[in-house]
Amino acid sequence: MGMILEKLPGLTKGLPGGELVLTTADYLIDLGRRQSMWPMTFGLACCAIEMMASYASRLDFDRMGVIPRASPRQADVMIVAGTVCKKMADPILEIYHQMPEPRFVISMGSCANCGGPYYDSYSVVKGVDRIVPVDVYIAGCPPRPEALQYAVIKLQEKIKRMSLAKEGLATPQMEKGSRPFGA
Amino acid sequence: MSNAPVIDNENVSGLKTDQLFINMGPQHPSTHGVLRIGLTIEGEVIAKAVPDIGYLHRGTEKLAEVRNYHHCVVLTDRWDYVSAMPNNLVFCLSAEKLMGLKVPPRADALRVISCELNRIASHLLFFGTYGIDTGAFTPFLYAFREREMVLDLFEMLCGARLTYNYIRLGGVMVDASPEWRTRLTEFVEYFKPRLDEYDTLLSFNPIFMARTQGVGRLSAEEAVNWGLSGPNLRASGVDYDVRKHDPYCGYENYDFDVPLGEEGSCWDRYFCRVREMRQSVRIIEQALAKLPEGPTMATGVAKIPKPAAGEAYAHVEASRGELGIYLVSDGGISPFRMHVRAPSFVNLAMLEKTLVGMKVADVIAVLGSIDIVLGEVDR
Amino acid sequence: MTQDELFAKIAAQFPKIEKAAVPVKDYLTVRLPSKDDLLPLAQWLKTTGFDYLDMLTGTDFLGPVDMKGYIRQQNFNVFLPDGATPEIESAAAPGYAYKPVLDLLWSFVSIKDKARVLVKLEVPRDAARVPSLAGLFKTADWQERETFDLLGVTYEGHPNLVKILTPDFLQGHPLRKDYAHIKDRFDD
Repeated sequence: MGMILEKLPGLTKGLPGGELVLTTADYLIDLGRRQSMWPMTFGLACCAIEMMASYASRLDFDRMGVIPRASPRQADVMIVAGTVCKKMADPILEIYHQMPEPRFVISMGSCANCGGPYYDSYSVVKGVDRIVPVDVYIAGCPPRPEALQYAVIKLQEKIKRMSLAKEGLATPQMEKGSRPFGA
Repeated sequence: MSNAPVIDNENVSGLKTDQLFINMGPQHPSTHGVLRIGLTIEGEVIAKAVPDIGYLHRGTEKLAEVRNYHHCVVLTDRWDYVSAMPNNLVFCLSAEKLMGLKVPPRADALRVISCELNRIASHLLFFGTYGIDTGAFTPFLYAFREREMVLDLFEMLCGARLTYNYIRLGGVMVDASPEWRTRLTEFVEYFKPRLDEYDTLLSFNPIFMARTQGVGRLSAEEAVNWGLSGPNLRASGVDYDVRKHDPYCGYENYDFDVPLGEEGSCWDRYFCRVREMRQSVRIIEQALAKLPEGPTMATGVAKIPKPAAGEAYAHVEASRGELGIYLVSDGGISPFRMHVRAPSFVNLAMLEKTLVGMKVADVIAVLGSIDIVLGEVDR
Repeated sequence: MTQDELFAKIAAQFPKIEKAAVPVKDYLTVRLPSKDDLLPLAQWLKTTGFDYLDMLTGTDFLGPVDMKGYIRQQNFNVFLPDGATPEIESAAAPGYAYKPVLDLLWSFVSIKDKARVLVKLEVPRDAARVPSLAGLFKTADWQERETFDLLGVTYEGHPNLVKILTPDFLQGHPLRKDYAHIKDRFDD
């Protein structure tokens, strides 16, 4: 798989019909990626309870291929559910860097978006996008589980548009704005 | 630490043993949030456990000093986000003491109903997650089925699922509609047989009992000395319930029992909570039956209250134990000082000493049975 | 046991202790004359049934809270025009006597008698040192660490008096009224 992702755009360049090969590969790769998004079980605060509710009986996240994983090494999506405190910022960064690429981040709730009710607190990071790049933001305090599922659908749409020709291998997130360790 | 076991590096067979440091958390699926425990283990036995908290410290007590009293109610929702109603209530009780407000009886009854409903929702979450912690996933799905119904009721009552801001200074936000009361009665009728189902599903499950009975025992003296409260204290056989001890909101008018445990083991702590749900149902039924008529908000609550200088302390029996608020007013628009006596914070402290000497596998069983919410531990 | 009976009982044992000028509403509040009386009182309370240390905390009575302790623009409400007065600003309440002391509070509960006594003690802000109760009540361990972390009160004889809630790089004690936040790497 890594071979295809790395070599395919270069190989098909200039070949007659190369574009077709690429777009077909795109379709298959994106299909695989978006239909099995495994988030990490990563609850920070209040929103984590709503995240749990969306995995549970009534709203059943499994039907969208979202199965929680306990290890960042097996996860594609990090759902930042709750207030990001300064003490927690470094562990979040570490977990983020442990995830394999391509990795996606959903910022769930006002606290993770911008600090929320703690906008002037001395120990809260005002938005998780100050430390990691965010793909989808969800508003609400806390957002409803349905909102989280909608965010996953939005992320699926975003993944659908990813293409090898434009981006090649998913770009190193460092360039997209994540902080390096210990920054 | 002084009471750590003496380490003998050269044991009889000549094999070398060494201590191993395990870092549990802050991202760990079973720590119920962002708790970190530094475990030093000696084979299978824990030699030292150091809980590290503060990963969710949001500085609420500091923020309250520049919010006005109505704004502070919003902050309270997010301490114990699993049961936010008692948090609202305790702040309002304390501020009402400062302001000398008298709450109408109908508002009191609605406060009791909403707090007890929230206790059910909170204990259901405990029931589900404790099942997961000890290796049973099914109870989680059953518990959330009923929990969603409670949350639906809350949504119908005040429009929010988790952070309600329903109990306000001087009363409650809105009156309960007749449809809501019908729905609540239906839910209570539906819920009572479910409690028996839980007992067969988890409480008396032999595997679960073997996993939790006799584990993490705390004697009554120790539990009092650790300052535990709520089901954790009552599981050790100490009859201390703020609802009986120092009644508020007219709890003295309701007929209910306080479930007590015997030996203070994990199973006792668990079973206290399960039996508490029955008592909550009883209280809700009584409160619904004699819901007084009248207004739900006291008259003369200022838009920006400025209580006279003074100090007040109010405490309630929240889902996790005794939740208290100490308020100091200097006569200004914001509290001069707000201190939260958070039950989870005090309950968690005992982990440092009780884990020593236990097996690694029991850490999660003990931690889960204390039922902490990190938002309340760190505030 | 009424408040007066309880106070008479305490006063018989510790004649120097008096009722606090500003009581915590609805509860018996006594004030200690000096920090040396804390340990004997706690010991005596523990033997007379007040074996549940409910809460310990403190208040900084320096004055209105300093806005430099918050990460906030002068005018944080975007709907207000530039230069308008912010909605909530800390201001001294007229007629209130602020004093540069830390007022510490302990709350003892007797589960048997359904009684509660709150003990207060004033210490100067720059030399806030009181004996620790961690030897008598295990629950004092973390609560004293919390008060040390947030208010800067040193509890003498505490086995492990280190930060508990705030991150390691945070300087100062946030709940002191003159706390000024120093920008760190997360406040761009």
